[in-house]
Amino acid sequence: MTGRARARSRGRGRGQEPAAPGAQPSISQEAAEPVMPTPPEGQLVGRGRQKPAPGAMSEEAMMQISAGFQQVKIGERGGRRRDFHDSGVHTRQLMEHVKESKTGVSGTAIELRANFMRLLSRPMWVLYQYHVDFKPPMESRRLRSALLFQHEETLGKAHTFDGAILFLPNKLHNTETVLCSETRNGEKVEITVTLTNELPPSSPVCLQFYNILFRRILRILNMQQIGRHYYNPDDPFNIPQHRLTIWPGFVTTILQYESSIMLCTDVSHKVLRSETVLDFMYSLRHQCGDQRFPEACTKELVGLIILTKYNNKTYRIDDIAWDHTPNNTFKKGDTEISFRNYFKTQYGLDITDGNQVLLVSHVKRLGPSGRPPPGPAMLVPEFCYLTGLTDKMRADFNIMKDLASHTRLSPEQREGRINRLISNINRNADVQNELTTWGLSFENRLLSLNGRVLPSERIIQGGRAYEYNPWTADWAKEMRGLPLISCMSLDNWLMFYTRRNADVAQSLLQTLNKVSGPMGIRMQRAIMIEYEDRQESLLRALQQNVARETQMVVVILPTNRKDKYDCVKKYLCVECPTPSQCVVSRTISKPQALMTVATKIALQMNCKMGGELWSVEIPLRQLMIVGIDCYHDTAAGKRSIGALVASLNQGMSRWFSKCVLQNRGQEIIDALKGSLQAALKAYLKYNNSLPSRIIVFRDGVGDGMLQSVVDYEVPQIMQSIKTMGQDYEPKLSVVVVKKRISSRFFARIDGKIANPPPGTVIGTEVTRPEWYDFFIVSQAVRFGCVAPTHYNVVFDSSGLKPDHMQRLTYKLCHMYYNWQGIVRVPAPCQYAHKLAFLVGQSIHKEPNMNLDDFLYYL
Amino acid sequence: MCLMRTHSRADLTKTLAMTTPFSPPLYMQRYQFVIDYVKTYRPKKVIDFGCAECCLLKKLKFHRNGIQLLVGVDINSVVLLKRMHTLAPLISDYLQPSDGPLTIELYQGSVTEREPCTRGFDLVTCVELIEHLELVEVASFSEVVFGYMSPGAVIVSTPNAEFNPLLPGLRGFRNYDHKFEWTRAEFQTWAHKVCRDYGYSVHFTGVGEAVGHWREVGFCTQIAVFQRNFHDTMSNAERLEPSVYRLMYRVVYPSLSDNNIYQRTLVNEVLYEAQHLRQEWLSRMNMDSSNNAHFCAPPLMDVFQHGLEGGTRDCQPVYQQGGTICVPLARVWSSPRVRALCGSVQRLREELQVDSRVRMSADGTVLILPAAADDEDDEEVEEEENVKAVSGVANNVEEDWDRELGCYGNV
Repeated sequence: MTGRARARSRGRGRGQEPAAPGAQPSISQEAAEPVMPTPPEGQLVGRGRQKPAPGAMSEEAMMQISAGFQQVKIGERGGRRRDFHDSGVHTRQLMEHVKESKTGVSGTAIELRANFMRLLSRPMWVLYQYHVDFKPPMESRRLRSALLFQHEETLGKAHTFDGAILFLPNKLHNTETVLCSETRNGEKVEITVTLTNELPPSSPVCLQFYNILFRRILRILNMQQIGRHYYNPDDPFNIPQHRLTIWPGFVTTILQYESSIMLCTDVSHKVLRSETVLDFMYSLRHQCGDQRFPEACTKELVGLIILTKYNNKTYRIDDIAWDHTPNNTFKKGDTEISFRNYFKTQYGLDITDGNQVLLVSHVKRLGPSGRPPPGPAMLVPEFCYLTGLTDKMRADFNIMKDLASHTRLSPEQREGRINRLISNINRNADVQNELTTWGLSFENRLLSLNGRVLPSERIIQGGRAYEYNPWTADWAKEMRGLPLISCMSLDNWLMFYTRRNADVAQSLLQTLNKVSGPMGIRMQRAIMIEYEDRQESLLRALQQNVARETQMVVVILPTNRKDKYDCVKKYLCVECPTPSQCVVSRTISKPQALMTVATKIALQMNCKMGGELWSVEIPLRQLMIVGIDCYHDTAAGKRSIGALVASLNQGMSRWFSKCVLQNRGQEIIDALKGSLQAALKAYLKYNNSLPSRIIVFRDGVGDGMLQSVVDYEVPQIMQSIKTMGQDYEPKLSVVVVKKRISSRFFARIDGKIANPPPGTVIGTEVTRPEWYDFFIVSQAVRFGCVAPTHYNVVFDSSGLKPDHMQRLTYKLCHMYYNWQGIVRVPAPCQYAHKLAFLVGQSIHKEPNMNLDDFLYYL
Repeated sequence: MCLMRTHSRADLTKTLAMTTPFSPPLYMQRYQFVIDYVKTYRPKKVIDFGCAECCLLKKLKFHRNGIQLLVGVDINSVVLLKRMHTLAPLISDYLQPSDGPLTIELYQGSVTEREPCTRGFDLVTCVELIEHLELVEVASFSEVVFGYMSPGAVIVSTPNAEFNPLLPGLRGFRNYDHKFEWTRAEFQTWAHKVCRDYGYSVHFTGVGEAVGHWREVGFCTQIAVFQRNFHDTMSNAERLEPSVYRLMYRVVYPSLSDNNIYQRTLVNEVLYEAQHLRQEWLSRMNMDSSNNAHFCAPPLMDVFQHGLEGGTRDCQPVYQQGGTICVPLARVWSSPRVRALCGSVQRLREELQVDSRVRMSADGTVLILPAAADDEDDEEVEEEENVKAVSGVANNVEEDWDRELGCYGNV
C-alpha cells in the first residue's frame, strides 16, 4: 500500500485524485497491517504510522533512524500526508545533456522579481536530531511531551518534538542525556535523549521543519488554517446576495530551489459561506416542493464540503440519513446520548429544528495513533456551513464577476500584499523571537532574478507571414482578410434555430457568408431548420435532418442551459458523427459585435471540419507532439477521462485526438496506451513514415503525482511505442506541464510593476536543482496577474538543447486554433483539455472514431 | 463531532472507568459545576486560576452565557504556549459573529501576587488549585484573591481527604505535587475565616459522591462557593495593563458589539434579502412577459394581490423605476434575520443611510437596486495601441534544429 492510495482527498472539484493501481485496500486490511518496512524514498510515511504500543513504536523509529535522515519525516498531528511538493523525484541526474546546464540562451534579458524570499541561517547552522526514549514507555504523545519539557533548562526554549524525535537548534552537552521526570501520579520516568543526526540546512527533514515552523509563524500572525493554506479572518469581503465571505490569505512553501532555500508565497482566497446546510435545505424545499426535495437535496448536497460550527473541521457530505434526526441517539462512551443533548452539553448549542435530517460523512482520517477510521460521522445540518462555490455559482457570471473584482489582483496589488506579509513577519516581535531562537531569518525583500524574453514568432498563413504585437500576444487583427492555410468548403450544412431566433439565425447566416469569403472558405447556403424550444424536439429535428453527407450542423440555442447543448453533442459526437457548432442566441444578438463573432465561428467551423488556420516555423522534422490531459468527473462516481491529442504534420496544424474513459482502479495512462498507438498509426498514414521524435506534453498531473509519472507512465509510453516495431526507436521526451502553481513573476515596465511580457522564460533560481525544468509566461492577460506555466522535462532522450526545448514549447503555445493568440500551455494540451472537458461534462461516452482526425471538440 | 465509535474506543473507556469510579469523570463534573454556576449567575468577567491546559476556558467559551472577559492564569508558561491556540476563534465565529463581545486573555503569573488587572471580576475559579500551594502561600492566596481582587464570587475546589480511603490503590496524596489535602472540617475552617476577614459568605457542596453508607464521607471533590457581601466599588474600573503578570495570549472574538462587524453583518443581511426580492420580482416579470409578450403586468396588480393576501404594510410591492428596481425597506424589515439584528425600522434606516454599499431613496423608505443583470460582455473596443516590441524582432533566418544537433537525416 502506498501513501498515494490513501492520500487525503483535497475536496476540490478540480483536485487531482490519484487513481490507485489495483483495488483500494480495504480498511480492515489497513488496520491489520504489520509494522511497515521503511518505504522507498519519495513515498511519505507520516509519524502517525507509529504503532500504538510503545514497544513497536521505538522499534520502528530506530529503523528509520538507521536508514538515515532521508526517510525521517516530521509528522504534524496525525500526520499522514502526501508529498505535495514532489521533492525526492530526481530526474535531472539521468539526463546527460542537462547535467551541466539546463538554461537556454535565446531572447533578451529581462529583470524580474519573484514571489520568493530566501531563508537565511547563521553560518554552520545545523539541526540536531535526537531520539527520545521513555522508560517505562508512555503511550500518550501529550504526556511524553509534557514529561520531556519538564527539563526546559537542559533542552532550551526552542524545540520541536513529535513524540519520538526531538529537534533542537543547539547541541546538548552529551550525545546521550538521561533525564528523570515524574508523572502526575508520581510515577518516575526515565527519559533518554540520544543524538542521532546532525542535519544540514538543506536536508529534507530540515525543509519539512521549516515549513512547520512557518505555519507556527502564520498562526502567531493570527491567520486561520483552512486545508493547507492560511487566511486572515479579520479582513473579509462579502458578496451578500449569496452569503459569500471571502478571506484573503497565503499559500506558502519552503523548498530547496536551484541555489538556495526559499519561501514561496502567493496570495490565495478562501470562499466561505455564512449559510448553514439547514438554511440551504429550507430554500431548496421552498424552491422545488416537498415531493422532489429528497432527490434534489441529495443531488445538490452530496459531494459538498462542509465546515462544522463547533470546531474547524471539514467533512465531505457522502449521504443523507433521511431516517435520522437530532433526537436520535449515539453511543458516547458507555451511554446513549441524543445529538440534541450532546451538542447542548458539549458546546452549549441549541438545535432549533428537531426534524432536520442528518448528514453522513465517511471519515477516512485514521483515528488517534493510527487506529482505523472511527466510522461514519453524523452531522447536524444546522451546525454545518457550506464551503466553496457550487457549479451553479461558478456558472453564474455575476457571482464570478463580483469574485474576480476582489480576488483578481493587479501585479502591483499582488506584490503589495506579499510585501506586507514580509514586513509583518519582520516587524512582529513574537515571530522574530520564534525565528531567532532557531537561528533563522528571512530575507526582507522579494527575490530578484533574470529572465529572458523569447523572440516573437512569425505566424505563417498560406504563403504569407506576419508578426503580432508582442504585448497583446494576439493576431486577430493581423489575420483579417488573409486566406487561411486550408479551407473546407461548406456545401451541405444545416442551421437549427427556434422561432424566436429566426431573425438572428438569418443575420448570422448572412454575416458568415460575408466573412468567409476573404478567408477563402466557399460557403453554400445552409439548410435552415426550425425546432421547438424543447430538448426532445431538438433531438428529433437532428435525427430527421442530419444525414451522412452533412458536413456541418449549426445549432442556435435560446439559452446557455446545458441540457440542450449536451443533447446536441451527445448525438453528433457518438451516434451520428458530424462536426457541430452551437451558438447561444445572446452571443449573436448584438449587431455591432456580429462581424467579430461570425469570424470566430467561421474559423471554428473550418477547424472542426479539418481545415487549417495558421502555422509557425517548426525547425524539427519528423516530429510528433503529443498532448495529454485528464478531466476528473467528481459527480459521476469519480470516473476520470483522459484525452490524447497528437500532431500529424510538420506545421502542427492537423491533429489526431482520442478520448478514453478510465475504468475504476486503472491508471489513466493504461487507457491512453491504445490511443498513442492509434496516433502513431495515423501519423504513419499521413506521412508514410513514423516520427523520429516524439515529445509528450503531459498535463493534469496533480501535486505529489510526479513520481508515478516517472516510474509508471514513462515506461508505459515507451512500451506503447515499441509495439510499432522492434527496431523502431524514436527519440522521446516527456514534459510534465503544470498550470496550478504558486510561482509568480513581476517585471518593472516604465517604472511600474507589471506582468512579464509573453515569451518570458525563467530557468534559474526558482527552478529545482533535481529537475530539468523551466517556467514560461506565454499568454498575455489584460487584467490581474499572469500565471506562468511550469514545464518539467522528466524524460528526454532527444538530446535537444534546453534552449530548443523552451522555444519549441513556446512555439506550440501559438497553435491553438480556438484563440487567435498565444495560450498558456502548448496547443495539444489545450486541445486535450478541451476534449476531455467536453466528454466529461456533456457526452460521458467515448466519441465516435470517425471524428478522430478532426478538431470537432473546439 | 459525534462518531459511531468502534470497539477499541469503548474498551479504552471501560478500562478508564475501572480506575475512576465516576461517570462522567470527576474533572468533567467539576467543569460542569462551574458551567452550571455561570449559567445561573451569568458573570461577565471570569478569571480561572491554574488554567493549565485551558480546558475549563475552552468549555466556558462554548457555554458563554454572557461572559465578556475570560482570563486564564497559570504559573507555567510552557503549557499555556502549547495550548493557547485552542482558544482562538473558530472559523464559524467569524462567519456568524456572536451578539456579545468576548475577549480571552492568558497570563503567566501566580495567585499569590497582586496584579491590578485582575481586579473587578465577577467570578474567580480555582479548580483544584490551593492544594498545590504551600500552607503559607494559602494565606497570601486568600489575601490576594479575597482581599485585593475582591471579585463578586469565588469557586474553590479541592480534594476531600476523607474520601481518599475509597480510592482504590491510593497511598498518600492524590497527586505528587499536592502539598496538603484537607478534610471537610479543615476546608470549612479556612473558608469561614476568609469570609470573616474579607466580607464574604460561603456555602459548601461538591462533586463525586460515594454510594450507600459511604455517603457520609462527603464528596470526592469539595467545593466552596463564596459570595461577596458588600457592593462592588470598582466594577467599572478601567482595565489596566498587567504589571506583574506576563500577557501570553490575547484574542478578541468577533462580535456584533464591534460596530464595523455589526454594520457589515447588517448590510450583508439586508442586501441578501433585497437581492432575493429583486430576483423574485424579475423572474415573475419574466414569466409574465414570456407567457404574454404584449402585456406586462403593472405593479398595481401586485398591490392588489398582496393587499388581499397580507393586508399589512409588510407587503408593499417591489417595483421598477427606470433602470432600477425599488425594494421597500418594509419588505426587507420583515426578514426575521434583519429584525433580530436591528431593533426598529428607524434604526435600520439610519444604519443603512450611512453605508456606502446601499443605495436608498431620499426619504429612506426604498432600497434601490439595478434592474438589469450586469451585462456579460464587458468587452471594450479594441484599443489601437502600438507598444514597442520588448523582445527581439522575430528573426527571419530559417532555423534547422535537426542540423544543429547534427542528426539530420540519420533516422
